[in-house]
Amino acid sequence: MIEDATSYMQSVLESYRKDGLHAIAVTDRDGVPLLKVADAEIPEHALRQNFLSTFGMATDQANKLGIGKNKLMVFAYSNIQIILFNKHPLLVTLIASVNANTGLLLKLEEQLHSLVSCISSLVDA
Amino acid sequence: MLKPKTLSQILGEANTGGIQSTLLLNSTGALLSYSGKGEGDGQVIAAIVSNIWSVYEESGQSALLEDKLNFLLLDCENGRVCVTRVADVLLCLYAEPWVGLGILKTKAEALAQYLDEPIHHIASS
Repeated sequence: MIEDATSYMQSVLESYRKDGLHAIAVTDRDGVPLLKVADAEIPEHALRQNFLSTFGMATDQANKLGIGKNKLMVFAYSNIQIILFNKHPLLVTLIASVNANTGLLLKLEEQLHSLVSCISSLVDA
Repeated sequence: MLKPKTLSQILGEANTGGIQSTLLLNSTGALLSYSGKGEGDGQVIAAIVSNIWSVYEESGQSALLEDKLNFLLLDCENGRVCVTRVADVLLCLYAEPWVGLGILKTKAEALAQYLDEPIHHIASS
């Protein structure tokens, strides 16, 4: 099952690579990667647990803003943008070039929804 | 010389088309200027977004090869928040959930560009 999920994510990554997408990671709240696919263009440390684990904290902080549950976050750095989907209990992280079309990448949420729901049910079980 | 009332009026010019409030805060989360509804909410938003910003700026520098954080967008169930840097302070726009992320970012960019020179001037004096 994991092989199928990884190959599906790899196919999604391949189809969006020309649009600037470099990596997709599905992690738990502590940043432990359950699934990740990446190309060679992302910085080596960008998919390490100590970096990914900070997103769970940010989501928890954002939930305290008093404007409801956090759904997504976009971090735009000088060269890279990171898009984070909150799929409790999981987090989906997209790492893309800063020039990539953010709106297009946000649409990926729908494409990854069934995969993430399937993994979520396994995590909950 | 900083004129707080004028600064607040300038921030207030962004409060149209679903934008509820505009804040200027320092990196420790202290509110410098505010325009919008309910200043108490502004203080909470300022404290939380400055915390998220500082964590991601720091982790981005270590994990993303000294990459600088330029923008942060948060999408929650009942509102959206956009944060960017102006000189050494942060500009934050808090909007209704139906406001497009693109227009939110564009307004933040326009306001940041307008405020950049005077705030740089204050910061350096």
